[in-house]
Amino acid sequence: MAQGNVESAPQPATPMNMAATLAVCGGGWLVPGLGHLLIGRWIRGLIFAACVFAMFGLGLAMHGKLYDLEFDEPLHVFAFIANIGAGIPYWIAEHLNLGVGTMSWPSYDYGTTYLWVCGLLNYLIVLDAFDIAQGRKP
Amino acid sequence: MILSHFTALTIFALIVATVFALVTKNEPREQFRYGLFVFVSFLAVAFVVGWLMFPLPLSPYRP
Repeated sequence: MAQGNVESAPQPATPMNMAATLAVCGGGWLVPGLGHLLIGRWIRGLIFAACVFAMFGLGLAMHGKLYDLEFDEPLHVFAFIANIGAGIPYWIAEHLNLGVGTMSWPSYDYGTTYLWVCGLLNYLIVLDAFDIAQGRKP
Repeated sequence: MILSHFTALTIFALIVATVFALVTKNEPREQFRYGLFVFVSFLAVAFVVGWLMFPLPLSPYRP
């Protein structure tokens, strides 16, 4: 354990090579928290996974909408980019026809925002895993 | 699931503050303090903006 840190693994003495780092980032994007688990940051990874999955589940439970890639409405592309940040859970939910979005539902706006933000948070989490793998932060 | 505005806001602030704190700080004490700051800031800003919007008419038919 690093000095005074909650991490479960010490900082790697040498940065990982770029291919391995990108693999870690890809894993972290597809499965939230997996990137940190792969580099041995178990506690951080599990907390991140819990946060993203909780937010994603709550967003769906509040009848939020998951956006597809549509070019008819250009602004929806940004919503799509935010949504796919959640990784595999996005495609699972789409496959199960979840995230259709019920605009008349009282918490529809909150649910949609939750779904956007959990994807955006996962992008931040992936960048954090990148920095750790490259030895830029402890 | 239907959550009240405040409950939805509180859960949102809690999750975002947790991620922000872990991403930006390294020491546990710093993480806790920064996370608490972000969480309280979310709630405080929501209260302030909520009260600022209170007198605004939402509809011409509002009593």
